[in-house]
Amino acid sequence: MNHLHEKKSMLSQGILIFIYLAVLTGLEFFVAISFNSAPLLIVVALVKAGLVLYYYMHVYKLNLESENDDQSYDYKAGTNRLGLWLFLISDSFVFGGLMVMRVNLLGLSRPELNQLLGLGVTAVLLVSSFFMNRGETLIHNGDRKGFLANTAITFVLGLGFLLGVVLVEWRLAIHEGLTPDSGIAGAAFFMMTGMHAFHVFTGLILLAIIWINGRRGLYDVKNYPVEAAAVYWHFVDVVWIFFYPALYLIGTAVR
Amino acid sequence: MRKTNPVWKGLLLLVVGGVLGYGIGLVLDLLVSGALNYNGSVASAFAILLAVTAFFLGVYGYRGITRGLVWQVVGTLLGGFFVTGIRALQGSDNIFGTFFFSEPAWVFGGLVGVITFMFGVGVVSDWMKWARGIDTPEHHEDEPGGGKYFDVSLDHKVIGIQYTVTALALIAIGGTFALIFRTELAASQLQFLTTTFKLFNQTGPQFYNTIMSLHGIIMIVSILLGISGMMNYAVPFLVGAHDMAFPRLNAFAYWISVPASVLLLMSLVLGGFDTGWTGYPPLSARAPVGMQMFFLGVFTAGWSSILGALNVIATVIRMRAKGMVAMRLPIFVWASVATSIIALTATQLIGLSFQLVMFQRLFGMGFFDAAKGGNPVLFQHLFWFYSHPAVYVFVLPGLGIISELLPVFVRKPLFGYRWIAMSSLGIALVGFTVWAHHMFTSGMNEYLRVPFMYSTLLVAVPTGVKFFSWVATIWGGKITTPTPMLFVLGAIIVFLIGGLTGPPNAAIALDLHLHDTYWVVGHFHDTIFGGFVFPFFAAIYYWFPKATGRRMNEFWGKVHFWLMTPSFFVLTLGMMVVGLRGMRRRIVDYDPALGFDFTHLLMTIGGFLIALSVLIFFINLFHSIKHGEKAEGNVWNSRSPEWQVPSPMPVHNYDVPFEVVGEPYDYGLADGKYIQFNGHQGEKHVVTAESAHH
Repeated sequence: MNHLHEKKSMLSQGILIFIYLAVLTGLEFFVAISFNSAPLLIVVALVKAGLVLYYYMHVYKLNLESENDDQSYDYKAGTNRLGLWLFLISDSFVFGGLMVMRVNLLGLSRPELNQLLGLGVTAVLLVSSFFMNRGETLIHNGDRKGFLANTAITFVLGLGFLLGVVLVEWRLAIHEGLTPDSGIAGAAFFMMTGMHAFHVFTGLILLAIIWINGRRGLYDVKNYPVEAAAVYWHFVDVVWIFFYPALYLIGTAVR
Repeated sequence: MRKTNPVWKGLLLLVVGGVLGYGIGLVLDLLVSGALNYNGSVASAFAILLAVTAFFLGVYGYRGITRGLVWQVVGTLLGGFFVTGIRALQGSDNIFGTFFFSEPAWVFGGLVGVITFMFGVGVVSDWMKWARGIDTPEHHEDEPGGGKYFDVSLDHKVIGIQYTVTALALIAIGGTFALIFRTELAASQLQFLTTTFKLFNQTGPQFYNTIMSLHGIIMIVSILLGISGMMNYAVPFLVGAHDMAFPRLNAFAYWISVPASVLLLMSLVLGGFDTGWTGYPPLSARAPVGMQMFFLGVFTAGWSSILGALNVIATVIRMRAKGMVAMRLPIFVWASVATSIIALTATQLIGLSFQLVMFQRLFGMGFFDAAKGGNPVLFQHLFWFYSHPAVYVFVLPGLGIISELLPVFVRKPLFGYRWIAMSSLGIALVGFTVWAHHMFTSGMNEYLRVPFMYSTLLVAVPTGVKFFSWVATIWGGKITTPTPMLFVLGAIIVFLIGGLTGPPNAAIALDLHLHDTYWVVGHFHDTIFGGFVFPFFAAIYYWFPKATGRRMNEFWGKVHFWLMTPSFFVLTLGMMVVGLRGMRRRIVDYDPALGFDFTHLLMTIGGFLIALSVLIFFINLFHSIKHGEKAEGNVWNSRSPEWQVPSPMPVHNYDVPFEVVGEPYDYGLADGKYIQFNGHQGEKHVVTAESAHH
């Protein structure tokens, strides 16, 4: 009974965190269009990233004491978890480097983009993270149907984000004259969104894999792959939490 | 009838493949350019690709590496034709380029070729099964004999040897390039790389630039593979693990270095590039297609380094034997972790900086193009953020080898274990803050110079700790000097010279004079030889019996050492002398009035003698595999766990797990137990000071 309670509280925790993230995203947008304070935008992004890292990506699981038997599934999952986080640390240096590039080239100016469209795709990705968290929690609870439904929603939202950026946003920007070779603003915009979109694309492949295998009946007990795909998906979201203000909100727009 | 050696068959097919590839390339070039281009790049590219592939076909048959190479060739062509087709559909004016394919087609083809290689060699097949929900056994049995080295193996010892052999092959290639341009530099004026010289679409001086640049990057990749070889081979059994944490990722990290090497070599024939290995824009934004192959090759090789480092860290954190607490880890393991922290993170930034130039060239994105508002100095920041710490990636494992081997051959405890362990981490962490000392003359903000000078000087502190410990360890020891120990001592002396010549470069006022001179070339050859090459040879001589159950020949090992060391001093001290007197680096010619001719001649002779000594080493190595003196026990009287089990090492390392019960380097002390095997015959295996002493 107590155990069930804990499972339910994990679900409601996911909802609560999503509400925080949504409110902060709204606040961020308001700050940007009203008095545009770069330090405040950075603080909001850091808080959002912290929430996702802790409550959605469960970074504290790295500290879990696994059993001594190094042949057990739990121990191996712990090793895999460490490996995945090491990879994410490595990967974040790519995105960090892109951020350095953006700050060095553009400083307190940003590419001229449709801010509302930016808010739209950001919301889609954020909601997808919420459903991902729900899906992961449900498979831990043994609810395969719920897991499959939520993962499918995550996939559709992720695909929506990808198409929204590549087909709508890029096309619109090119139409407005912001092209990869038009100047540094265009170069930074296409490079950063392109690199992020590539990661979204790989995340979608992972989601497809766990969805198909989940439908075949895997992950009843050995469900680390679901956790791995979820953590990777949230990581892609964390990157966007920084890229979105960097490209759409901070500073004044230049062509 | 005697069975023919497959190597002869391979060499025969090498010739056949080369001729066939040359013919195909000639015809393709004729179709596109309408002229027979006998020393053109296309024919040469096809000749080299097909020759290498045919060689492995002859040696090993159509599996493993051969299949990978065939798939890489096919993938490159498919990718190239795909982009060419798209250009044709777009109605582009020139769907083909100078080198058959256009530049975008070569880049895309090169990328597809790497991916198809990985599928062809079969290193991703288990992951593909996992993605479809099919389980695979944790271990795969390797075939007995030498064949397993040409195919995907999950055994860390096999992968370590694969890395090492690939590194040695690249050292041979990079060294050959050095001999070519050293010969050119032996006297002032152009000797044979003249303006009328024509090879792979390059004139003599252009070809000089290409092989000078390729010498740099091929040596760097070979060093990365060499340290991966040492770490892969030694770290798991030093910490008492049966394998690395992620055996498939380990195999992946090794195999991706093979197509990467092929790409780097392709840059030689596709017009080359003239930027040096640093690839600074704006020059790299206009160099021939070879530049793109170089970028792609380094990017791919970088993944090998990143994934290998990830694996080492995870192995050390998760796979240690019982009782192997942090302060009882072998020093080499500490050094491996320190090096892996840099390789895991900073490598991404050289990949990113090269990617940005690739995209600038392909899509006109203006990152480093001042005309579009870009900033060429930004490239240097991103590039050096990896490429300076990279030298600590190169030397830290080697310095670990010195500390690891020294106590064995002086029969004394390592002096200041904790300080040594922490100094590796210290060098790695300080290393992250020093990159801009390469840019004192680049026009970056002047107020940045001073902090970078001080952080650079700070590196000398943890490095000094290491020297202090080595000297104190040798002090009063019972020194024996078999070949590995000779190389350890050589490493200490050479690295001392390399280390002492470093701080002058860090001092801003001096650096403005020394920048881009041969002084710097001499300095880094000393650090890399002292920090990597000498310890690498020491490690090979030391662990060769562990890998093969035989020893390498002592006499020829000593000849190798006594020939290489003085020649090396002639070479690098010569470099420093002419450098201080104003010899610019990276140039094909120099003014006879400078009076450097004689020194350059001496340096060239030194270079050839080094090559001769390495040739002796190669012959000794391959001869000893089958004909070396048998050595199945603890040949060096080491306390280290791997020497307490028979050689060659059993497949999964330790049949009986061991427990750490004492300090690792207590040589010559009473009651100095390090490990204890926990099986029933445990007592028999206990290493005491007594048994280690005799």
